[in-house]
Amino acid sequence: MNSTARTRCLALVTDAYGGRGGIAQYNRDFCGALVESGASVTVVPRHAPPHAELPAGLKQMAAPRGKIAYVLVALRVALREPVDVVFCGHLHLAPLAWLIARLKHARLIVQTHGIDAWARPSRLRRAATERADLVLSVSRFTRARVLAWAALPPERAVVVPDTVQDDFTPGDGSELRTHLGLDGKVVLLTVGRMDPRERYKGHDRVMAALPILLADGHRIIYLIIGEGDDRARLAGLAVNHGVADQVRFLGAVDTKTLVDAYRMADLFVMPSTAEGFGIAYLEAMTSGTPALGLMVGGARDALGDGQLGTAVAETDDLATAISSLLAAPKPQPVELSASAIARFGRRAFTVQVNRALERLKEAA
Amino acid sequence: MCGLNGIFAFHTAASAPKRDELIATREHMAARGPDGVGEWWSDDRRCGLGFRRLAIQDLSERAAQPMISDDGSLVIVFNGEIYNAPELRSALTQAGCRFRTTSDTEVLLHLFAREGRALVEQLRGMYAFAIWNDRRRELLLARDPYGIKPLYTANDGWTFRFASQVKALLAGGGVSRDSEPGGVVGFHLFGSVPEPFTLYREIRALPAGHTQLIDEGGPREPRPFASLPAILADGARHPSKADELLARVRTSVGDSVRAHLISDVEVGHFLSAGVDSGALLGLMRDAGQGKIRAITLGFDEFRDTPDDEVPLASEVAERYGADHIVRRVNKREFDNDLPAIFEAMDQPSIDGINTWFVAKAAREAGLKVALSGLGGDELFAGYPSFTDLPRWRRRFGPLAAIPGMGALSRVVIGTLAPGIARRQPKALGLLEFANDWSGLYLLRRGLFLPHELRGFLEPDFISEGLRRLKPLHLVDQALTPDPGSDVGRVCALESANYMRNQLLRDADWAGMAHGVEIRVPLVDYTLLCEVAPALPALTPGAGKAALALTPTPALPDAITRRAKTGFGTPIGVWRQFAVAKTPDPVPAPRGIVSRKWSQTVLEACAA
Repeated sequence: MNSTARTRCLALVTDAYGGRGGIAQYNRDFCGALVESGASVTVVPRHAPPHAELPAGLKQMAAPRGKIAYVLVALRVALREPVDVVFCGHLHLAPLAWLIARLKHARLIVQTHGIDAWARPSRLRRAATERADLVLSVSRFTRARVLAWAALPPERAVVVPDTVQDDFTPGDGSELRTHLGLDGKVVLLTVGRMDPRERYKGHDRVMAALPILLADGHRIIYLIIGEGDDRARLAGLAVNHGVADQVRFLGAVDTKTLVDAYRMADLFVMPSTAEGFGIAYLEAMTSGTPALGLMVGGARDALGDGQLGTAVAETDDLATAISSLLAAPKPQPVELSASAIARFGRRAFTVQVNRALERLKEAA
Repeated sequence: MCGLNGIFAFHTAASAPKRDELIATREHMAARGPDGVGEWWSDDRRCGLGFRRLAIQDLSERAAQPMISDDGSLVIVFNGEIYNAPELRSALTQAGCRFRTTSDTEVLLHLFAREGRALVEQLRGMYAFAIWNDRRRELLLARDPYGIKPLYTANDGWTFRFASQVKALLAGGGVSRDSEPGGVVGFHLFGSVPEPFTLYREIRALPAGHTQLIDEGGPREPRPFASLPAILADGARHPSKADELLARVRTSVGDSVRAHLISDVEVGHFLSAGVDSGALLGLMRDAGQGKIRAITLGFDEFRDTPDDEVPLASEVAERYGADHIVRRVNKREFDNDLPAIFEAMDQPSIDGINTWFVAKAAREAGLKVALSGLGGDELFAGYPSFTDLPRWRRRFGPLAAIPGMGALSRVVIGTLAPGIARRQPKALGLLEFANDWSGLYLLRRGLFLPHELRGFLEPDFISEGLRRLKPLHLVDQALTPDPGSDVGRVCALESANYMRNQLLRDADWAGMAHGVEIRVPLVDYTLLCEVAPALPALTPGAGKAALALTPTPALPDAITRRAKTGFGTPIGVWRQFAVAKTPDPVPAPRGIVSRKWSQTVLEACAA
């Protein structure tokens, strides 16, 4: 890899521009940081809408239909274009990424996120990961899990945490609060997918805590933002707990509503047991709202080991933790936001991506 | 000889290190440094260094650590001794450096300021150190070519930690205790945990002869600066004449012993009935040391047997005018000390008990420093492996090269001769491993062979451990590049495996538990460079014979004629290990004792 010439990167990803969810966001952030640092990037996504908005200097191929087509497109792009670095945005694509890196004598970065990388993958994926020049993880927990199944020099396993978008800043969310009729209420907020296959986000735990909090005199409303097939079950659960009137499902919302929801919430609470990182904690804190999660998985990182947000043990009583946070003085929103930005803001993210690239150049 | 540790929160996202953790890690190493304690933090509190001091050179407070350069830009914590510090100091002074202490620590600081990472190429000694460069905001770690001094690191992706001991890192509370299958399987195969593995996935040894840089981008892969096989290969390319052997050994070993006597406290000696320690004692006298106190262990169980070292050691002590201290150890003391031994044992090891007691005796005698003959067998071809391995390779190598022969022979012997399998379990692996040097070495030195692990480990754990450990590849690293001769190959294999992972590590934890620095003049990179040209032509016994002739007068014939017994302890008797629990049990042979003892050790260390 030439240390002075422009780095040419081929990014094999599940989705990026035009995609939804944390992994797509990370891929956009990562590729964007590469472009900002002067690299040229060609993205080959598995899924993408036809007209995604792209930053200058970046090219995204149309998403091929089917796995075989994807492999053929990725190989065709690789053979036609010069490639210095292959960025593999998901473990599933690692064997293909390794093959292309090998064909092109390019460096290989394998990106790992959350539960997708926590269990030992197939031999092929493991072998490809073990041959990567750099394995990036979004949290220390994911990194540790990767090192548990990959025989990899630990120095090659590097943490580049998720970052947060500039939209999430402290501000006045009272308009939304009034609009939702929540004036005078204590608002708990969870933002996350409601997927019946992934019931780890902790909606159930919060609902179980609500009767106790209500009995203690808190005028609680629990707002849930996000969509998913598990919503009906959760609604039923609210009825079972006798808190149906206190639980509101807002579904998917636009960014402005999301930001205002974070701003007007009294506490963001997501006692998730399987976060790869947990961008939502970060969005809440950069919006100036305190966040509560478990000291489990990647959430520990997003909560800054309990120095940014509050991280309680899985065995701790959640109602007690919520109650004491509601009773405690609220952190200054601007200060909380600045602390979160200092660790996980876009600038910090770009620095980490550049350091990762520097390491590839050192190893070249 | 001290204990050092540090924490560096290198990642932007990392929380600031906690002082409590730094201190907890440091204080777990209190026995390593009873003479002083130190702590340093960078202005932004992102990097902290801790130190426990055993004062040996420049006993004053000026030489306390962490030591900061005059301009405040460099901070060092250093464990070990730089034996060529006087020469380096002299050169640095001439180059304009001003010293405020007479310690070797300050020499390292000045040398680093001038040479940067390349300083290690000028060092003769045993060392592990960390230097913080405040201007560049980076740490440099280094460990001596043989790996005499330990240095362990842990990187969780945000924060880098290091310490002289594995257990000290764990005591800090910030390092994961998740098990490393490669380390556990490695212990069962070798009787000690082969570096860079430890029992814990997150903790790794900085490999011997490597430096490692850690900056705000995180730790880089360790970079080698010294290679034992490369020196041996160079020696084989430029062999010396056979008649030069004695002169070469006399000059180079004498020089090493003189260098190893540098100290501001009394230097004692560990004396057995072997050639190595006897020759060193004579050379200490030849180097001009007046008072020498030499310590020998005596066991009642060995009295009037060839294993008793006391009579011959006494003769040697008298010959060189040393004050001889014979320290008797019995089963009762062993039983009493066992909990403390396991507590001090940093990583499981099937050896080290003898070193524990001899270091204890040294401490009782008020000694802080003692020379040991460790390394003589590796350097001067004293082990049976120097004859066994080449012979086995010639005899069994061609047969073992036939595909499938290893597995077939194991089944055949196991079925037709179960008695052999029980008494000599490693015989089953002969045709499986005799195909190359690393396999032969595993066969010779291994505690258990891979196929035997199913008796006490889960199959998944074994396969994952073997996959991560790659035992034959690990052993084979000692032969890259090829040392160029059979003696050189076995020397490299023994030095980089058994000696590094077991003998030297045992000398560290067992010595440090009593605040005693064990110096090993026969484990010296400069000495290896001098002796390497003579090794290819070394015939069995010739190296030790030459070593015996180096002091004036030479060692008595009774020492050189004595069959090799090892520096052993009667653990088999003390722990009542027997081949079978019959009314009249037959004492177990040494190999079986080691196997049984290893299970006790692992249970104690994993507790």
